[in-house]
Amino acid sequence: MKPVTVSVPSLEVFLEPLQVFVQRVGAVAGVEEDELTSLSIAVIEIVKNGMEHGNGMDGDKPVSIRMEVLPGRLQIQVEDQGSWVPGEQIGYKPAEGEEIFSDRGRGILIARNLARWVEFGLTEDGRTQATLVWPLT
Amino acid sequence: MKIHETVKDGVTIIKLGGKLISGPELVELKTAFQNTVNQDRHRKVLLDLGDVSWMDSSGLGVIVSGHTTIRRAGGEMKILNATKKIHELFIITKLITVFETFHSEAEALASFRDKA
Repeated sequence: MKPVTVSVPSLEVFLEPLQVFVQRVGAVAGVEEDELTSLSIAVIEIVKNGMEHGNGMDGDKPVSIRMEVLPGRLQIQVEDQGSWVPGEQIGYKPAEGEEIFSDRGRGILIARNLARWVEFGLTEDGRTQATLVWPLT
Repeated sequence: MKIHETVKDGVTIIKLGGKLISGPELVELKTAFQNTVNQDRHRKVLLDLGDVSWMDSSGLGVIVSGHTTIRRAGGEMKILNATKKIHELFIITKLITVFETFHSEAEALASFRDKA
């Protein structure tokens, strides 16, 4: 499968069709049927972070998602238009103490637990890029 | 997302269906939780997730928010029929330590009676 790239405006209304899209591409790429839901949850969590922290939920600012099959794995790269430093969000521990009762802040925790690998970096032009790795059997 | 409410044995059963994904529909769910408190009737809530096909952190966030709203009003919310995938999210986020979960409606309703 050749790499597939899609770009969506930073609006919540695009999350549901994107979730369907991610699962379909995942199926074509060879992700196990019973893992497709987890795959789409992990990707949507990262996309939502990009929309919010990178793009400020500005509908004029897109988040791009590139899905590529590599040996033994599906790699998903999510890029937003910001240059936010995810350290604070990554270090946030929503499952600890009173934070467990917070109504937000669990996205990266969930993505990190569902995907084999999630890392954050910057593109050459300084925009935030998240990379998820999903194993293919 | 579909929301259907019934009352059994003094417990409001809120049954959800479809996808719990970010957007206006989650506001609808938040309102449903608030209504159980505002109507000053059944502050015992059983949230049936058996027909929920997909949920992310936003859905979890609204459920936690509902839990807090109901708890502050002196009530209690429990979870019924969480699927394997949703149960996994409750474990990852440790919310499994916050909510009592059941796979039998009868047992869930009985648990409310036991505390009455």
